[in-house]
Amino acid sequence: MFVLFRHLAGVRRAAGLRRGAPLSAAIRHVDAGSCNGCEHELGACLGPMYDLQRFGLAISASPRHADILLVTGPVTTRMRPALLAAYQAMPEPRLVAALGDCALGCGLLGDPSEVAGPLEEILPVAVRIPGCPPTPEDIARCLLDGLDGTLQTATPGA
Amino acid sequence: MTAVPITEAVAVDGWRWHDRVAGLLDDGLRFVSLSGTPDGDVRCVLADPERTVVLTTAPAGGRVASIIDIVGAAGWDEREIHDRTGIGFEGHEPLRPLLRHPSATSDWTTPVAGADVHDVAVGPTHAGIIESGHFRFHVVGERILLLDPQLFYKHRGLEAAAAGASPELALRLAQRACAACAVTNTVAVAQAIEDARGAMPDAELRRARTLLLELERLYNHVNDIGAVCAGIGFAMGNMAFAELKERAQRLNATLTGHRFLFGTVAVGTSELEIDAAAAAGARTTVAGIGADAAALWADVHRNRTARTRFRGAGTLAHADALALGACGPAGRASGIDDDARVASPRLWYDGFAAARPEAPTGDVAARIGLRVLEIVACCAIIDDLVSAPITPGRVRGGNVDVGTGVGVVESPRGRTAAIVDVHAGTITGMHLRTGSYANWPALAAACTGAILPDFPLINKSFELCYACVDR
Ligand code: SF4
Repeated sequence: MFVLFRHLAGVRRAAGLRRGAPLSAAIRHVDAGSCNGCEHELGACLGPMYDLQRFGLAISASPRHADILLVTGPVTTRMRPALLAAYQAMPEPRLVAALGDCALGCGLLGDPSEVAGPLEEILPVAVRIPGCPPTPEDIARCLLDGLDGTLQTATPGA
Repeated sequence: MTAVPITEAVAVDGWRWHDRVAGLLDDGLRFVSLSGTPDGDVRCVLADPERTVVLTTAPAGGRVASIIDIVGAAGWDEREIHDRTGIGFEGHEPLRPLLRHPSATSDWTTPVAGADVHDVAVGPTHAGIIESGHFRFHVVGERILLLDPQLFYKHRGLEAAAAGASPELALRLAQRACAACAVTNTVAVAQAIEDARGAMPDAELRRARTLLLELERLYNHVNDIGAVCAGIGFAMGNMAFAELKERAQRLNATLTGHRFLFGTVAVGTSELEIDAAAAAGARTTVAGIGADAAALWADVHRNRTARTRFRGAGTLAHADALALGACGPAGRASGIDDDARVASPRLWYDGFAAARPEAPTGDVAARIGLRVLEIVACCAIIDDLVSAPITPGRVRGGNVDVGTGVGVVESPRGRTAAIVDVHAGTITGMHLRTGSYANWPALAAACTGAILPDFPLINKSFELCYACVDR
């Protein structure tokens, strides 16, 4: 594994990522009907070039361990129940982040009869990340800006 | 250059439907797609390198003969048409819902019985950054007897939204279907519209689109190798290939202004321009990605644990691949010698030959090994295309007002076909059958006999999109 190790060490050096102000928040991602572009870029955030984990942000495998519900897609009628179930399963305080133009209800969404969104009308959105898809830098910046103190002030029960 | 295939429209009576499809298959044509028309008919597209035939029939009393006995690949298509239109397919029993989500599980799953058989339900939401979809595993202990996938949670009605739209809007809707196949899907739709209008792309347009398609394949293939490493929890392999993907996507942004190449495909034209300096830069970047992919893959492969986990996992037997119509890397890894690029007169693939695995064992190892081979070919094609500057392109001809056209493109996941109806400048019908759609039944078949903890690995080795199935 020497080649892999040396390659990754080089990538990390070249990326020159700084340590950020440490937060601690677990993110639960729910795809509510995306084109998968937002997922690809969210995945890139966790890769060696952006490394969102260095700020203490991590993807959680269960909504029960999550502070943030990160939603992509326009919210299809078929994903609405699963989205609400994930939100209900989260402990409080919790907040909702909309990732991408679809989740923000902008752009081409599809046939209106298949779309239950916009997300804003279903859940209280606290962090907005525009773009189609937003770049990994955008996602990191919006999450960090949006989280600055927000978790502490999120209304219980919201 | 190969001659342009002619698209023939043939209307057949219901009682001759099955025989006509069988006859065309006997003539050597292959199944391309099956869908409903805007007028409530059913149509089947079949093609060989010389011609494309669109067979249409009006269902008598709401019923048509099923063709799944001769085209196993059409199983999902018939189920979807039934859900959308209510048309019945005689001989397809039981015709389980696909697009429709009934409340009772027994209404859509395969009955499986026996000592200790139980179900494991997974999804639609998952434990990582994964698209939404539901799986019912019928298992004994941890052995999978059968997998019933239930997709279409992400159904956005993009094709319905395209009915009545302008060609430009229809193309944007097709792009929305799936980010990872955005170029493939839009090129297929653009080709279908041009085919309907009787237009043919010039050399510049063919070169530009082929370059975009191969740039899409490059970032997808390196992504998919990284994903397979993630499937066995091998973080270093995953991260190393994530970096290659990032480099490929930054190249996309440099050349076209978008990391996923969104907005680069248009109907009848291409505005893409890459001058000599940018082309030279692209050649260096692509050569670097190709060399690093080979070296990093060799290092992953030196790891005995990784090798052992890949080998023999999720085997798709050749006979199953053939019967289910598996295509793309998954089909080729099971010995299906097929690649839509071989006969693509509307693109720039002269002399292209499909990648052949050393041993078509149909397991995870074969599917990744095939992508490794294809990355080499992909880098060579890109290098060749940008050895001269890319300049704007146009189509020739194209004065037909009313018609139906077909476009076929090889996506990173397999054969993608679009069929589009054009009426005086408006799109009246659009149907997209993607490489992912074609391969989902094969993925389910490959899981039979595997252990449940291997599902993420097997799933990643196909790396099919949910978004471009659900549409
Ligand atoms: S915002 Fe754009 S990239 Fe994200 S899901 Fe919607 S269409 Fe896809």
